[in-house]
Parts: sequence; structure tokens; C-alpha cells
Amino acid sequence: MQNVVERVLNLLIYLLESPRPVTADDVRYTVQGYGQESDEAFHRMFERDKDLLRRMGVPLKLVALDEWEVDFGYTVDPDEYALADPGLTQEEKVALSVAARMVRLGGSHLGVNALLKLGGVERVAGLEPLGADLGEESDVLGELFGAVSQRRRVAFDYRGHRRELEPWGIAHRRGHWYVTGKTPEGERVYRVDRMAKVEVSEETGQFTRPDDFDIRKVMDGQPWEAGSGDEVEARVRFDPDLAWWAARTLGVAAPAEGEPLEATVPVVNKDAFLGWVLSFGAGAEILEPSDLRDEVVARVEGALEALA
Amino acid sequence: MSSNRTADRLNRILALIPYVLEQGVVDVEEVIDRFGYTRNQLLKDLNTVFVCGLPGYGPGDLMEAYLDEDEVVIDAADYFKRAPRLTSTEALGLLAAGLTVIGAGQGTPALESAVSKLMAKVMPDADPAITVDVVDPTEHVAELKSAAADGRVVRITYTSVGKEQTTVREVEPWTVFHTMGRWYVAGYCRMVEEQRTFRLDRIRELEETGETFTPPEDRPEPGVGYSPSDGDVAAVIELGPNARWVLEYYPVEVLSDDGETARIRFWAPDPEVTARLLVRLGSSARLVDGPEVAQRLRELGEALLSRHRLGPET
Repeated sequence: MQNVVERVLNLLIYLLESPRPVTADDVRYTVQGYGQESDEAFHRMFERDKDLLRRMGVPLKLVALDEWEVDFGYTVDPDEYALADPGLTQEEKVALSVAARMVRLGGSHLGVNALLKLGGVERVAGLEPLGADLGEESDVLGELFGAVSQRRRVAFDYRGHRRELEPWGIAHRRGHWYVTGKTPEGERVYRVDRMAKVEVSEETGQFTRPDDFDIRKVMDGQPWEAGSGDEVEARVRFDPDLAWWAARTLGVAAPAEGEPLEATVPVVNKDAFLGWVLSFGAGAEILEPSDLRDEVVARVEGALEALA
Repeated sequence: MSSNRTADRLNRILALIPYVLEQGVVDVEEVIDRFGYTRNQLLKDLNTVFVCGLPGYGPGDLMEAYLDEDEVVIDAADYFKRAPRLTSTEALGLLAAGLTVIGAGQGTPALESAVSKLMAKVMPDADPAITVDVVDPTEHVAELKSAAADGRVVRITYTSVGKEQTTVREVEPWTVFHTMGRWYVAGYCRMVEEQRTFRLDRIRELEETGETFTPPEDRPEPGVGYSPSDGDVAAVIELGPNARWVLEYYPVEVLSDDGETARIRFWAPDPEVTARLLVRLGSSARLVDGPEVAQRLRELGEALLSRHRLGPET
């Protein structure tokens, strides 16, 4: 690793300082660490180093050196390379340092890596007695976030189909990450951990997002309110023991102590709704509509039959 | 040597150089603290910087980097006077951290302005496009966090999950954390005289007792992956194609999986929890083994049928 670190630092300095794009041969015969290698070994090494720089976020570009596009060279624009100083005050840096240590993403404190580039982690006494784990594979998530903020189209496999999406926004809701945006079939929401083979377009600025787009509005609401089906109104009775909890979840007033709660709930996703009602065990009863009542019966019978 | 570790090391070097250049000279302890170094790692990185520079690689071409007594000195590295921009993943990590804390009702004006500045300068197009939502209720988060920080004993009215029993108990809160879409508090429960984890949304009432306690030195790191404990009930379940979402949703042990049907071992603190899941799955899943669960499933099934089979009670 020692040699790689030195070689890549030298390469980056060379790229930042060269007034013109440089060819692979320039690199090979100028930058310390490449010269003694055979053709094949050099090319493998150079490919790996370029890949490493790109993964680190270095904007390494390949550009034509002549009008006929015969020769190509590499370049890194120092202004594009550098972080735009967000002008954070000391107090703001401390606040971010506390937050970054409290929240984990994909099992690691990813915000901390960002803080290093902003001048390091501010000293904060003790471990905060508050923590959050946002779950999820962070690599795909980072790529999707990049696609959202640079307006690049993405393609991915989802439930056995290839989909194409203009990603408008990214949201964390109830323990999962979602991407929302426009597909040829209309606006859709996808769960990130169910996406596979994600490909992000090379081009930026491929679409415009509606001015009134606000991810909070899209993602607001209960899981059973999401989806594209018809909405039905369900009436549910919750027994006294858990009536307070149901009321709190639905955002309605809790009934008096010892009283049941009867609530009207708009339902689009019936399966999500049944899942929630069944989390009350036999302590909740769907009063209307009758097809949802029948569905409870069908599920119970299905489960009991499978048992027999 | 993994290339991720190489990337991490390079990133830290490229963040360290501009910081030291801007400050002039920096105390070695501060650098160690701020950039998460050990003394040896820092020395190694300084020695690496010291041998790199512009082509020619003579004394005048290389960067200067060394330890002078207890001060870190870096010079002749103007091309690195600004830190590299954030990758999308890093920017998301930091923004998500800030938004989570704000979403949990723990934001300060400084944090909110920091997040706005990041959005405006670092990810100019991100503002309306990202939200990190931490579910309700947030009402007890602040109280419990402060009780945990100061070592104050609280009394909670708590409805358990599964048995649905409501009890009033005194708890010494250690950590408050959010995972898999829910808030939890871990601590010592004086009623059962053991360490317990409670779901915040099931805390109906919370009050201070006026008593204090000394938190354990090795307070557990916040964040739980569910790991089965001694009292948990295991069941073996076969999932059909329509029930496969369970594999992604719950931490389960997969016993076999042919891509269509999967056989899993499922743990729950109470067999009622498993029985409810089986009702939800209906005919798309099958309980293979778990006598306690089977018993509860029959009872739950009967109770649900008697409430739903005929017309609603009025």
C-alpha cells in the first residue's frame, strides 16, 4: 500500500499542476513510481490508480488533444477538484460533529469521512446517549444520491423487471431508504434495498424536476396510504388496552380510559393495512368494508389450513 | 491490501494537508484527535507526504512534512491547499446525520444552519430532494436522552409487544437509539432486575422519579441488530413466493432457499408475534415447527374468526 499511496499522490499532484491534459505516456515517463514497469504492468497499474482516484471523488477527465480526436489526455481541474467552502462557523462544525457521531449509515459513521474534509471532527465530550442507525448498503445509496443531485438518469432491476427512472428525490422512512421520481409509466417510489444492478448515466443534467416537487409531501403518510390503487375508507374498532397506541399512530384524539377507539382510515395498500391491524392481534376489528373483513377471515383460514 | 483502505488513507492525507496549511502549525495532539489518527499512523502519513511532490522529485520539488517537537508542520504543498470535494456518499452521510438529528427533535439552530449551508454549497441541487424521516413519536426522545445523559431514573407506563400487558416500571435509561424505523431505549429495568430494551412508541407515560443512578462504564453502543436471547421462541416457517418479503424485512436464519420457497428460523420474544405474522401471511406461508406458536396461532385464529366471520358487533 505504501507504494500505491505515494504513486497516487504523485499522480494527483502531476494532474493538478499540469497546464495541459497529459497522456498515459507522459504519466509513465514523468511520474515517480511507474517508469520501471513493462507495458502491460504499467497499463494495469494506471487503470487501477485512475479507478481509485475516481472512487475517491477526484474529477479525472479524459479529453481529446486535437480536433481529429486522435490523441487523448487526462486532466483534473483544480477548481472542480476542490471542496466549495460552505463557510461553517465553529459552532456549526461542532453541531455536525455531534450529529455525525450519533448517526450510522450502512454500519459506519459515514458523515465522519465528510467532516475530515471540512477540517476534522470537533472534540465533543463523551458519547452521546442517542444513536440512530439508518441501515442500508451505503455504496448504492451514495450513487443514487449523486444521481438525484446531479440529475442523472438511473436504470435498475426491481422485482424481476428492468426499470428506468429520473430520480427526483431520496427519503428515509420507517427504517428503509426510498428513491422517488418519474418513469415512462408515471411517478413511482422504489425501495433502495430491493434495487439491483443499479446503473447511473454518465451525463449530468438530464432532466428537470418540477418546481413544486417536495419529497416530504410524496413520502408523507402511513404505509397503507401509499401506492397507486383506489382508496377505500375502512372503519376499525380498537379495544381499550391499545386504543391509545392506535390513536397516537393515526394522529387522532385518544378515547377516554377504558373506552375503545373507532376510527375511519383511508386505505390504498390493503396488505400494509392488514399487517398493521393484525399487529393488534385479536384486539382490533375491521368493521367496514366487508371485503376487508372477508380478507381477514381468508388469511386466518389460510394460516390454519397450512397448520393442519 | 484492500483498495478501500488505500482510499481512506489517501482521503485522510488530502484532508489533513489543507487543514495544517491553513492553521500554519498545529499541535500534534489536536491533529490526532481531529483526524482520528494514532501517533504512529500520523508519523507514517507525514513521512509519505515528505517523499511526494512534483516531477523531478528533488529536494525543491517535494512537499515538506514533519513533526517539530510537538507540532505538525506541512509546507510546499500549495496544490493541496483546498480539501477535495465530498463524494455523494460522504455528502449523503453527513446530511442524513444532520437531518436525522433534526427529525428527532434534537436539532439546534447551529445544526439547522449547518445543514442549510451544506445543501446550498456542497450539494446545491439537493434541498427539496432529500428527507430523512424518523418516525413518531418523538415526544419521549428528548426527555429520555437527557435522563440518560444525567443518570436520572424514570418511571414508565409501558405496554409490551405481544402480550400487550401494561405495567408501570422504574428504568435506569442508558442509551436512546433509532433503528429499523423505530426508537428504543436500552437500560436497566428495576422491575425485572435485568437489562431491557423498550420501544418508545409503547411508552404511554413517562415521569421523573427524582432518583439518580450511575451509568455503567461500558454503556452499550447505540443501535441494535436483533439477536435472539434466551427467552425467545423459535419457529421454523416455510415461505412461499408471496411471503418472501419476510426475508428482507426481519432478521431471520435462512435454512434453505430454492429461489421460490424458503425455509427460515424465526425468533420472537413472544409466540404471539410469530402467530400474528403467520395470520398476515395466510396461505402463502406454513408453520413447519414450533408447538408454542401453533397453539397461539389456533387461539388467535379463533378469536379473529369469531370477530370477523359474522356481521360486525354493534
